[in-house]
Amino acid sequence: MFAFIGFSLRRAWQGFWRNGLMSLAATATMVLMLVMLSGLVILLTGLDATLDYVQQEVQVVAYLKDSATQQDIDGLKASLQRMPQVTQVTSVTKEQAYKDFVARHPDEADVINSLPTNPLPASLQINLRDPNDYLDVATYLKSQPGVDRVLNIKQTVDQMVTVIGILRAGGAVILGVVGLIVLFIIVNTIRLAVVARSDEIEIMRLVGASDAFIRWPFIFEGAIVGLLGAAITIGLLLAGQGPITSFLSDYFKVLPVQASATVGQNIVLIVLGTGVGIGVLGSYLSVRSYLIR
Amino acid sequence: MPGRIVLAMQGVTKAYPNGRVALRGVDLTIPDGDFVFLVGPSGAGKSTIIKLLIRDELPTKGLVLLDGRDLGRLNRRDVPKVRRKIGIVFQDFKLLPNMTVRDNVGFALEVTGARRREIDVAVDRVLRVVGLTGQADQLPSQLSGGEQQRTAIARALVHNPRLFIADEPTGNLDPMISWEIIQLLLRINELGVTVLMATHNAEVVTAVRKRVVALENGRIVRDESDAAYHRED
Repeated sequence: MFAFIGFSLRRAWQGFWRNGLMSLAATATMVLMLVMLSGLVILLTGLDATLDYVQQEVQVVAYLKDSATQQDIDGLKASLQRMPQVTQVTSVTKEQAYKDFVARHPDEADVINSLPTNPLPASLQINLRDPNDYLDVATYLKSQPGVDRVLNIKQTVDQMVTVIGILRAGGAVILGVVGLIVLFIIVNTIRLAVVARSDEIEIMRLVGASDAFIRWPFIFEGAIVGLLGAAITIGLLLAGQGPITSFLSDYFKVLPVQASATVGQNIVLIVLGTGVGIGVLGSYLSVRSYLIR
Repeated sequence: MPGRIVLAMQGVTKAYPNGRVALRGVDLTIPDGDFVFLVGPSGAGKSTIIKLLIRDELPTKGLVLLDGRDLGRLNRRDVPKVRRKIGIVFQDFKLLPNMTVRDNVGFALEVTGARRREIDVAVDRVLRVVGLTGQADQLPSQLSGGEQQRTAIARALVHNPRLFIADEPTGNLDPMISWEIIQLLLRINELGVTVLMATHNAEVVTAVRKRVVALENGRIVRDESDAAYHRED
């Protein structure tokens, strides 16, 4: 057993260095594909964070009757906060609404100042955990005596939920397709490296090497290619993280989220796992076709 | 064990999937310590017999027994073990170009999981037999054709095979070197190794006067001791 592992590791190491050109091609392909894959993962993670943020920004606004007392409002606020669908309730008084209006429309301050009383109602702004719960909360609010009316944003919410759903599904599909392409390309590059050494496999078979002795050196070699490819990829990502982040945040200025290309632990694990996994799988499949006879 | 049968083929027929029939009812017995020339024109079935012996192919009909084991009914996992009873050399040597002579020879033991110390002892012994002790640390590209073939022979011998198969071993060598290789094979045979050599080299076969098995169209047409390449009437 000891001799076997030693043999396999030694052969893998020798195989990697003695077939430099093929190893280089396989590793370069691996790096290229892993960079593409991790770039996509980073992009989709950013998209996901953005969508989460957008969803949390969905607010139900309930305008309150002027007759509602502070006690009524506090009671309503407390009952809303107890609802599982609700993340946050902000109370806006008539005075605050007036100040907000003036701040937002300084040119029209005269209009509102000319009125005898403040026409703006007090309101409650309710943030939702999931925009799909909009109707539940809106219905509840309409049944409350202190509520004058609920701003109807059903159509907007529905459209947004649909778009977000499509974006999420599209992201998953693209990731899946790119993942498959990456798998295919890397497996084929490794297959080329193995085919280039079919003589060696033939000699091993002729001198009576068992399948394990033939297979494992190649599998370890695939793991070396994967490991090296992953290490280079992670190095590239770390090096590129700063410039890419500043580019992204410039590009996505409109969105109130930090669009960053942070190389987190997740990316490192994904790159390492994919690299080594595909390297091993590619070698296994490539050698297998020589062993089954 | 003199007198024991190393190889027995009984009524062996081999038809390839494309319909070509390479062997038709071949019976062949090779006792321990024999030296056999397998002769015949291209396509007569020599290569097919060798492929059956290393179990690269299975017989369509009949039995192939190597050292008493039926190669047609072998578990996949037992195939390597049976192959270790055979040492084989080819016309094109099949050496690994990036390994030294010593490593090429030792490779045959290494892949069976042998220990380093055993490997070193066995490799030194077999390199002495083929006369390559001085070239042990050279690469195949630094060797002459004859030396490359002797390296291949050393590799085929290092695990003490029951049967040594040489498939056109002199096909790529000039006559002078061919003779050296034949002398080496005869010496190996004298050391007790059973040798089966497939060849076109009529001069060598006739001069050596050993057992000759002649194939034609997949049948054995002649099996004589102390024989020449061609039928002598």
